[in-house]
Amino acid sequence: MISRKLTEYLRSSIFIRGLEAKSEIEAIEKMIGVLSDHPAVKDPAALSAAIFTRQQSDPPTFPGGIAFPHARTDSVSSLVLVTATCPQPVPFRDAQIRLLFLIGVPKAAVADYLEVTSFLIRHVRASHLLDRLVMANDLPSFLAAFSENS
Amino acid sequence: MDTVEAPQSKRQLSPLLRRLLKLKVWLVDHFRLSERQVTLIWAGLIGLLGALVSEAFRKASEIFHYLATGSNLDIISSFTHLPWWQRLIVPTIGGILAGLTLWVGNRFMVGIRQKTTTDYMEAVVVGSGNISVLASITKSLSALFTISTGGSIGREGPLVQLSSLMASLVGRFRHFPIPQRRHLVACGAAAGIASAYNAPIAGSFFVAEIVLGTVVVESLAPLIFASVVATFTSQAIHGSDPLYKPPSLDLHSRWEIIPLFFVGIIAGLIAPLYLRIFRLSEWAFTKVHLPVPVKLAIGGAIVGALAVIDPEVCGNGQSLLSSLFHQNWFWNSILWILVLKILATMATFGSGAVGGVFTPTLFVGGAIGMLYGQGILYLTPQLRPDPALYGLVGMGSFLAATTGAPLMAILMVFELTLDYTIVPFLMVGCVVGYYCSSIFEKRFMYGESLERKGAAFFNQQLAEIDLIDLIHHDPITLPKNATFAEIAQTFVQHRFQHIYIVDDDRHLMGAISLHDVKAFLDRPELETVVIAADIMNEDFPRVSPLQGMGEALYKFTEAQSERLPVVDNFTSQRLIGSIAKTDIILHLAGEQINPHVARESSPR
Repeated sequence: MISRKLTEYLRSSIFIRGLEAKSEIEAIEKMIGVLSDHPAVKDPAALSAAIFTRQQSDPPTFPGGIAFPHARTDSVSSLVLVTATCPQPVPFRDAQIRLLFLIGVPKAAVADYLEVTSFLIRHVRASHLLDRLVMANDLPSFLAAFSENS
Repeated sequence: MDTVEAPQSKRQLSPLLRRLLKLKVWLVDHFRLSERQVTLIWAGLIGLLGALVSEAFRKASEIFHYLATGSNLDIISSFTHLPWWQRLIVPTIGGILAGLTLWVGNRFMVGIRQKTTTDYMEAVVVGSGNISVLASITKSLSALFTISTGGSIGREGPLVQLSSLMASLVGRFRHFPIPQRRHLVACGAAAGIASAYNAPIAGSFFVAEIVLGTVVVESLAPLIFASVVATFTSQAIHGSDPLYKPPSLDLHSRWEIIPLFFVGIIAGLIAPLYLRIFRLSEWAFTKVHLPVPVKLAIGGAIVGALAVIDPEVCGNGQSLLSSLFHQNWFWNSILWILVLKILATMATFGSGAVGGVFTPTLFVGGAIGMLYGQGILYLTPQLRPDPALYGLVGMGSFLAATTGAPLMAILMVFELTLDYTIVPFLMVGCVVGYYCSSIFEKRFMYGESLERKGAAFFNQQLAEIDLIDLIHHDPITLPKNATFAEIAQTFVQHRFQHIYIVDDDRHLMGAISLHDVKAFLDRPELETVVIAADIMNEDFPRVSPLQGMGEALYKFTEAQSERLPVVDNFTSQRLIGSIAKTDIILHLAGEQINPHVARESSPR
């Protein structure tokens, strides 16, 4: 069961199909780039700095090629989520990443951050779903895959 | 180790011994005194001691009055017989002596104030129930000089102070806990009022309504008992006549209830003005930077100068009030003495003299009521109103309006007169007076003083606490890269509300709140992905030993947490421990902190 708030976050998320990048930094920069005009992003540079700082200590990745670059920062006014699929895996240190979730969350919204992260991890763990997600053409089909799994 | 079996006869109790033991257990079960019963018994003893010490003060003031004026008569009569220059000089010398007593006493009281309080209200409401012996004797001796030499101030102040001191000493001697000690001091205060005015019910309600701020059976019963014992003791010495025996009062028309209703309104409107004049006189004397003896001498000299004009301004106003009810006073004479009396009371009280303002306030209320009653008599002679009735209602209404304690005022005036005729009108007047006054005045007579003392005492207590003494070392911490699994495990293992996050050098980086994560503690998917740095609050309030306790308490309101991390200073932010709100409260309550017990008992 997906909560209404979570559904809103997912529906308002930005979807990048077929992200091409040669490195972790390039991939993250491209994802932050699409947020430059996002109304909830007050300071894209600060968001970028916060995410890269977080990436330096225990970057959150998950078996199967999933990465969660994220930051809790007041450079965003509400939770922002960018999803990117990478048919050509992007090297993230030791892992080859096929699916990326970039999350920017205000400092006070700890519960939102944990809720979204928990939901995403719980669902993308299933390998059959991961393949469908990576192959999704757009956000509706991406969300549809999630809904079916829920 | 070898053991030796005890002989059979020693292991088993004899039937007689067993019966005796059963009897003892039964007696203990059925007749063991509870804390409330013990308090009641001690309240009786305090009532007795309070009355005796009040009597001793009365005798001492009579002796000193004789020495000062050469007369055994009451204060007004004595001053009436004195030549003008003696009327001027006696209150002035009294002021000097009273001031010198306070000045000398204060020099010795600097250290004492840190462990005890000097005032009974303070001891009951904000203190530990410990009243300083030296401070009480100093204040009472100072009051003795002021009162005996004609100062316009009531002696109920020192009577209550001494009676409360007796109660405090009993509490300390018996090592009662703080709440019980405070309650006994309240009993002492009630006994003091009861013996001063021969008014046991009003004595109890004065303390309950004004000092404790509650009229519940648990606290009221010992107050009543102490007051009754004190009154009986005083009556055994002085007789049981009421303080103001009014003339026979008749209500000639039921329509008189209407003008009597307005007594309350008038009293309620004048009372805020009266309280403001009091504050003004206090303020004026604080602006004069002179030694205490000189200030009190000035206050005494003003009373003396007024006494040269009219000796009836001297004293607390008790005999003047009695004369008002029993002799025919013209309205202009009442107005004249009312103005002079207010000036004399302001001079005495404002200069810093120790004593009560209860009796002078009763006089002012009585005089206002009498003036109004004479006006009603002049305007509606067909109603045949009795100005004395208006005076008595005015007395109660004004008391209710100035003290903010209508119940006490009703009971007080009833007990002072023991005339039931006035009670219904008194009830209306007191309630109306209180309500009218409270529209314009939020700080009543005793409340304001208590508020000031309470705030000062609290601030002093706060300033005395050294934050270092209350620190719990080695609080639970985690590194910033601790996984969610470790965080969850720590919260489960310890009943803390916050975990502090530190770096390798123990610099405080933030805190994780259980409130934020408790809904997710059972989510295994988060265990390896989320780390402490992701969910910690970097701006979590923290304190430093360099800060005062007042600032630390303010930080607690920001954090809404039972505990706060303590860092060595705000530059390096190295975590040295934590401090618990409970420990501060216990410390303020005067309890000795046992860090081990506190650590176990207080949630973090």
